[in-house]
Amino acid sequence: MSSGSRRLARGVRFRRDPDGSALLLVPEGIVSLNETAAVILELLDGARDDDEIVALLAKRYDEPHATLARDAHALLAEFSLRGLITQ
Amino acid sequence: MNEIRGPLSLLCELTYRCNLQCPYCYNPINLGRASEELNLEKWLEVIDQACALGIRQIGFSGGEPTLRALDLIALTKRATEHGAYTNLITQGTFLDEALLESLIAVGLAHVQISIQAPERELAALIAGTDVYDRKLDALRLVARKEVALTLNYVLHRLNHDTLPDALAFAEREGIRRVEIANVQFYGWAYRNRAALMPTREQVARGVEIVTQARERLRGKMEIIYVLPDYFEEFPKPCMHGWAQLAMTVAPDGRILPCPAATAITTLTFPNARTSSLHEAWHHSPSFTAYRGTGWMPEPCRSCERKEVDWGGCRCQAFLLTGDAGATDPVCVKSERHDIVTTLRETGPHAAWAPRRPDNAAR
Repeated sequence: MSSGSRRLARGVRFRRDPDGSALLLVPEGIVSLNETAAVILELLDGARDDDEIVALLAKRYDEPHATLARDAHALLAEFSLRGLITQ
Repeated sequence: MNEIRGPLSLLCELTYRCNLQCPYCYNPINLGRASEELNLEKWLEVIDQACALGIRQIGFSGGEPTLRALDLIALTKRATEHGAYTNLITQGTFLDEALLESLIAVGLAHVQISIQAPERELAALIAGTDVYDRKLDALRLVARKEVALTLNYVLHRLNHDTLPDALAFAEREGIRRVEIANVQFYGWAYRNRAALMPTREQVARGVEIVTQARERLRGKMEIIYVLPDYFEEFPKPCMHGWAQLAMTVAPDGRILPCPAATAITTLTFPNARTSSLHEAWHHSPSFTAYRGTGWMPEPCRSCERKEVDWGGCRCQAFLLTGDAGATDPVCVKSERHDIVTTLRETGPHAAWAPRRPDNAAR
């Protein structure tokens, strides 16, 4: 799966609390993020496509490329479906 | 006693003033006076204290919050500086491009605009004035901007049959998030409930319409819909439990566990003029009175749903039984459930009192 660049949807805000925990703030709601999700969402800048995000993850983490790609694609697909990120 | 968590959301009711006269409004029927409203300096302190308490969601509501436009901009800015998410809950009639641009520039994340009906005549009948074009302009303006938009439609007997038209309207306007809010009977809506109570047929049809629309519009429109609780077997878990996640500050500074709580005349609420939000949340008897499950009478106390429903709504219990500590009569297990079954048997069309100062209780 490769697609164009993605970014957070309108009115979706990423936040890191002082204790390092990460959240997405959405209309009248709060979505807690695990660290993997947080790192991936922090890389969404509206310019990078999914493959570039996976390449950046591969530089940062000592995991097989295929594993990182699978995890990232699954997460991006899920967050897209929930309307939290957009093309 | 449950562990006390910090609140996560705060509703700032900047004013009870409003240019519309909707009979379903949940504001208290004593509308207060503009001279009693907290000033900007005090509201800024409220925002600072809320964010220090860990609050991450801040709503600006009323009344009509844009009647305090400059204060609204300053408060949105302050909340954003603290990293909080800001929601503007408005009826939209004063939301022009200059105001919206100013709010977005200081971080506004979400605008919720309500309509009274998807067509002019009925909307004007309900609002007491024709503001249809101004609302349409506001909706289209917000839809173009870099901010989330929710269309809010309060359903009641007078407009319930227009539900399909309202959904078609939202679809036509490209609105992606729609909240179909069944009227809740507090404040003016409680006073006007004979006119507003939907019929059983309307409610049943509403459920069908929403179910079909959700299926058809999956991925295009999110529809938030909650059954009117008078027609359910179990009560709504109001506010996710009294004083558990949210707090409200009323225009006059009263610090409340929910926007309707001033209805409970047996409680005395702290005021932001003399109490911090921290003090109110942790120590005010009005907040601790119904927090958790320790206060519950039977049948709640031994009910397996006690941490699902949290005993229902304290305001509703008070309004219907006179005892804020009673089981919500909406629950089929309540010994006063007959009150609700009687109320939901609608009679012929009834007159209503428009929400206006000349109808307000003093």
